[in-house]
Amino acid sequence: MALKPLRLPLALTPPPLRRLGLADVAMLCLLGGVIATVVAFAREFQAPFLQAVRIDLSPVALPKYTLFSLSRGVIALLISYLFALAFGWTAAKFPVAERLLLPMLDILQSIPVLGFLPGLVLGLMSLFPARNVGLELAAILMIFTAQAWNLAFSFYNSLKSLPEPLRDASRMSGWGSSRTFWRLELPAAAQGLVWNGMLSMAGGWFFLMVNEAFRLGERDYRLPGIGSYMSVALDRGNAQAVGLAIVAMVVMIVSVDQLLWRPLVVWVEKFRLDDTASAVVPSSWVLEFLRRARIPRGAAALQRRAYRTAVRATQPLQRPFRAARPLMVNAPRLAFGNPVARKLGVAALVAGLAVAAGLGVWHLYLLLRQLGLSDWAMLASSAGLTFVRVMGSVALATAWALPAGVVIGRSPRLAQLMQPVIQVVASFPAPMLFPLVIIALEVVGLRLGVGAVVLMVLSGQWYILFNVISAVAAIPEQLKEAVTVFRLSSLARWRSLYLPAAFPALATGWVTAAGGAWNGSIVAEYMQVGGALRTTRGLGSLISEATAHANFALLAGGITIMSLIVVGWNRLVWRPLASWAQTRFQVGQ
Amino acid sequence: MTPGGVLLEARHVTQRFRLPNGQVLEALRDVSLAVREHEVVALVGPSGCGKSTLLRLLAGLARPAEGQLLYRGQPLDGVLGAAAMVFQSFALLPWLTVAENVAMGLETRGVNGAARRDAVARAINLVGLDGFEQAYPKELSGGMKQRVGFARALAVAPEILLMDEPFGALDPLTAENLRSQAVGLWRDPATGVNTMVVVTHSVEEAVFLAGRIVVFGSNPGHVREELVNQLPYPRKERSAQFEEMVDRLHAILTATLLPEPEPAPAAAPQRLPPFARVHVAEVTGLLDHLLTRPDGRGPVFELSEDLGVDYDRMSAVVRGAEQLGWVTTPGEIVQLTPAGREIMAMDDAARKDATRARLSRHPLFARILAMLKEGEGSVEDEEVLADLTIYFPFIPADSLFQTIVEWGRYAELFDHDADAARLTLLTS
Repeated sequence: MALKPLRLPLALTPPPLRRLGLADVAMLCLLGGVIATVVAFAREFQAPFLQAVRIDLSPVALPKYTLFSLSRGVIALLISYLFALAFGWTAAKFPVAERLLLPMLDILQSIPVLGFLPGLVLGLMSLFPARNVGLELAAILMIFTAQAWNLAFSFYNSLKSLPEPLRDASRMSGWGSSRTFWRLELPAAAQGLVWNGMLSMAGGWFFLMVNEAFRLGERDYRLPGIGSYMSVALDRGNAQAVGLAIVAMVVMIVSVDQLLWRPLVVWVEKFRLDDTASAVVPSSWVLEFLRRARIPRGAAALQRRAYRTAVRATQPLQRPFRAARPLMVNAPRLAFGNPVARKLGVAALVAGLAVAAGLGVWHLYLLLRQLGLSDWAMLASSAGLTFVRVMGSVALATAWALPAGVVIGRSPRLAQLMQPVIQVVASFPAPMLFPLVIIALEVVGLRLGVGAVVLMVLSGQWYILFNVISAVAAIPEQLKEAVTVFRLSSLARWRSLYLPAAFPALATGWVTAAGGAWNGSIVAEYMQVGGALRTTRGLGSLISEATAHANFALLAGGITIMSLIVVGWNRLVWRPLASWAQTRFQVGQ
Repeated sequence: MTPGGVLLEARHVTQRFRLPNGQVLEALRDVSLAVREHEVVALVGPSGCGKSTLLRLLAGLARPAEGQLLYRGQPLDGVLGAAAMVFQSFALLPWLTVAENVAMGLETRGVNGAARRDAVARAINLVGLDGFEQAYPKELSGGMKQRVGFARALAVAPEILLMDEPFGALDPLTAENLRSQAVGLWRDPATGVNTMVVVTHSVEEAVFLAGRIVVFGSNPGHVREELVNQLPYPRKERSAQFEEMVDRLHAILTATLLPEPEPAPAAAPQRLPPFARVHVAEVTGLLDHLLTRPDGRGPVFELSEDLGVDYDRMSAVVRGAEQLGWVTTPGEIVQLTPAGREIMAMDDAARKDATRARLSRHPLFARILAMLKEGEGSVEDEEVLADLTIYFPFIPADSLFQTIVEWGRYAELFDHDADAARLTLLTS
């Protein structure tokens, strides 16, 4: 039997191109406020933080560090899920919220959040001086910003695309909003949430490694974890520890994949809404084991019993809530139901936002006013350099990932074979390898100015590869047969079928790859390898240096410019390109 | 059972929707309908006539823009608890078993424990699904799924059963079987169902089920006519009375779908007639088929049956052919005209020429051609769409535009540049 084409979920579906509105302007202004706030926080930081992390390089200590890193990732993922549920639900239920939240998400997911890292670390250190709490918070916050947005979009989209008859059926059954949420909306979104969670986790490792190994000039902000283990090992030139750290990372990624994601992916097949069963039914030995084993089943029964007992035990406590319930439920309903009250509420919300946005822009202006003409010239030239590097890295990544993706995607056998491998490889956080790559490149004679491009390729390439594979795998079998029947040469095949069919996914991949490259620039242009600091001119190194030298106006300028370039380029180039490609080259409508 | 007092009532109901492109469509205008106890009401009419919209309003799933809905004389607030609904797409939750799906409405009605198990078992038994309690919907055939849909509705012992094209997604054999069962459920006092409202596409289905058939007209949706059907249950589909009832309903529907052209008063301002949203190949297919018939004629419902097209679509195709002067429609009969015969005898190029001549005389195409001339051979999509929205507020402008482009291209009147989003005049 011929293998059916793989049905890979399109991980990176671009949000539809909306018309720009006032809300977008407000969100940009608010972003300015965020920049000003981060910088203001960072300014509070006074005492040089000298508590360098003491890392034990013995192999026995490695599991402990691995667990530290893992728990940071998992905690951030849980927070991301909570955020995504709250955010998606609010945006899908209230049109007013939708009009504000979508532009916000749009900007949040395209700004290079790593640009905020130096300021954020300094800011949170000022809140919790001389302790690791600030650093831990900064790490979790950073991972969160890498994980949350696509989850939120996924949940929002699931809610919006829920078939109306299902909603009607649940309403006719008298389901309230909480029952509908748990029994209809959440299950219907489960697949998207799990697949996106898997991606988010991979993105999270990237940020975590940067965070755990973060140093700014003389200051050492490393946190105990795999990232810092690796960086200390490199400092001391301990090749064995370097190797062990890489092995530990791979073991962690593979185990999380096998023990957490695989079972979840198989389990959520149950919640597929469309009737078409997927061609390749994923399997998981862990889930098989759990399903077959007696103990988990017993545990489930026990858990049910425990739940019931708990409910019964808390019944007296529920009484006040039940008494207050009509008030809690009806008061907002009354408030929202009254047209005057609703208009007032909306007006208050809009006014509040306008004030916040105005204040944000004003504070940012106060900061940026301190910059002289030469500062701006330096910012502009650095931005230009980094921009060239980002585009170069996207081009390089495309040059290898597009052909590779087409070759893998057009053969179902190969795709099925390679997919799990690529998934693990792609989850491996590139920043962990940056120092090694830099040393290798220096041996060949490439300086950081060019080498940074290679590092940025590492940060963005997988998005392109994944998207191309799934697009090519989705080409209908008959189209492939048609090019065979008409005896197209292999060049003509690529030109007339594979490249056009891959193009929409490629364009979508570019958006994310470029985003990854911008984030990568923060790390790649300013790096501590071994004992020595290596930097090259660019916006990324400018931001790090400005923070290290407490030049806060320049820091604000750097972040602002970077955010504006990325958001603007997304808006004006990537997204129109992606949506044009979508309408022009989409296979099978 | 004879109809009793008024149970559920819509009074002067108007409903509007905003389409994604901003156009506001009026789905229903000033519709009044009273559903009495112990009756089965069928709502029939062309697609887009708002019959499903009315059903959702009756269920309390939506609020009307204007007008009122009353249950036993009280204004409806929220979902109507006395009703249950059966959906065309079944609307079963794929992650719940048959039994859990059937129990959906029971929990919130406070039926728990043993009482719930009994209610579920009873409902499953009523539709003959015993043994399938633990199956998941995806393991079932369409007919079985719809049985679950019925069981879920019956489990709450509803006074009113609302059905939205309940047999529309099933194959004919299964549909027929379930239809008779639906009548059985209604007549069976054990189910508690005493009134049914069914939206349907099929004339036979309406005659088979309903004691009163309400025919809707479209653009915007409104009640055209009501037909009382007093055939005794269980109804025999092959009986003479049944056939007669079907013919009567056909006649009413034809008058709705293919209205006789009214002689326009000479002084009246000229109104733009819309162009039927049909494909070129559908119209030529119809003409082809008519050529094979004696005298090139046939009743519209027979044509629709012979060609396997539903009557709603069939009449749209007939309207399209009629607008081009290729058929006439005296009553229910579709008659090929001499011009229609002529065009079928032509080769492709000549046929295109003839179509071009016909289309340029059609007021809607004439207007677009005028716009094109005014714009020196090109006009933006936006402009045409805006025009269509103004002239035909009840028709989705996008879909009418697509039809216009197809015919314009076929007749080589104008071309459409999708990238630049504009029409361009073809000069020949």
